[in-house]
Amino acid sequence: MNLSRKKMLTLGLALITAFGLFAAGCGGDTKKDAAQKPAATNDGIQKIKDRGVLKVGCKVDVPKFGFKDPKTNKIEGFEIDLAKAIAKKILGDENKIDLTGVVAKTRGPLLDSGEIDLCIATFTITDERKQTYNMTTPYYEDPVGFLVKKDSGIKSIKDLNGKNIAVPQGATTRKGVQDAADKAGVKVTFSEFPTYSECKTALSAGRADAYAMDTSNLLGYIDDSTEILPDKIAPQFYGAATKKDNKALFDLVEKTFEDMKKSGEMDKLLTKWNLKK
Amino acid sequence: MATNPFAEYKWQALFTDWRLFADGLTVTIEVAIVALLVALLLGILFGVAGVFPNKNLRILNRVYVEFFQNTPLVIQVIFLYHALPHLKIVLPVFAIGSLGIGIYTGAYMAEVVRSGILAIPRGQLEAGLSQGFTYFQAMRYLILPQAKKIILPSIANQGVNLIKNTSVLAMIAGGDLMYQADSWSGMNMYYGPAYIVTGLLYWLLCFPLTKYVKHLEGSSEVRP
Repeated sequence: MNLSRKKMLTLGLALITAFGLFAAGCGGDTKKDAAQKPAATNDGIQKIKDRGVLKVGCKVDVPKFGFKDPKTNKIEGFEIDLAKAIAKKILGDENKIDLTGVVAKTRGPLLDSGEIDLCIATFTITDERKQTYNMTTPYYEDPVGFLVKKDSGIKSIKDLNGKNIAVPQGATTRKGVQDAADKAGVKVTFSEFPTYSECKTALSAGRADAYAMDTSNLLGYIDDSTEILPDKIAPQFYGAATKKDNKALFDLVEKTFEDMKKSGEMDKLLTKWNLKK
Repeated sequence: MATNPFAEYKWQALFTDWRLFADGLTVTIEVAIVALLVALLLGILFGVAGVFPNKNLRILNRVYVEFFQNTPLVIQVIFLYHALPHLKIVLPVFAIGSLGIGIYTGAYMAEVVRSGILAIPRGQLEAGLSQGFTYFQAMRYLILPQAKKIILPSIANQGVNLIKNTSVLAMIAGGDLMYQADSWSGMNMYYGPAYIVTGLLYWLLCFPLTKYVKHLEGSSEVRP
């Protein structure tokens, strides 16, 4: 009995050590890789050219930005058109893109693993995220809004005192709402859900008193019994993101967006998707 | 360097925000304890009902076990959280966690208890009855004490499953360990350290219990 107990302990310790080594090992390797590679080569772009297709992470559940039409099974939207423009620039053909649906929680890991080259998915720019990924200058600005039930009596941020607010997991919304609530002197609590539709379900079920999210996103969830408050807060700036070490691709995306803004092409796309303010 | 999911600054951020994970762990432990009590109670009640002479009680046992064993816990929890409010029943998340997971695990425990009792030779019950014991006395003083040795390891095993299953609360904003890990890492994308530490914490909760199972199996005279 004593012996087996000792064995178990050894096994346990071995497991913990293995865990640690795994984590540490990952750290060491990547650091070395980064050091050996010259900083900004065209490697990142050459890889895409060799592959012949640009792998892009996009939203599939945000109307007008990236939305999979259940009838046609095609993903369409403003951000998809942006991705096409990048593909055209690199590969000369706007259809050479491979779209992967992402949610807030999966886009980081997908970029890190190289599963996607580029993420254009209503990705809000923050300093914290900039530390980990390359993020372009914003291509769209969208304030956070509140979706509430019409019969709830909530008409402004002030009315949200003591209320519970549904926000999507992995979005920057929570912080924005918290700051605005502090400023308005109201106390709110949060419930985070993995998907947008679950946030809406929570609002319908009365689990949450409001669903806070980027306004363009909320428009897709408005129905007869709900409305969006006139109060808008915390403008969210969307940028495209690449892995930190794929500087070449980042520079190209940044340049392409800049050119599109100058040439008026960006405006044309915004008008096409009815996003012009 | 920043592409490394386990970069040092991400670990530092985690240790700065350790309170969040401690809060999550507390909720997980609280839910697990209440759920375990619910599961044990239901498991014993329905387990005994499963071997009862009364046919209706045996049917009740089957309905309970077959319903909860054959539908996913996720659906049960989502139903309790999102659907019941439409029927004007709003259960707090803690109650959903402890009751929902407790009732679910109770079905498994009922099967463990039932098969444990059935493993005791029928002659034991008959001997008790012939000595003037009532059915309940025979159960209480003869059968259950013997069955206990067979049942306990499996019960503890279900307890381990129960602890891990509390992570479904993450889907309904339950504030448990998994939810906090999702929330924190979703915000800053430091998912590497977040999930390693969370996995390790679950492991630390479950490992002593599995060790206890081994110990029970060893000390039980009846070996499978």
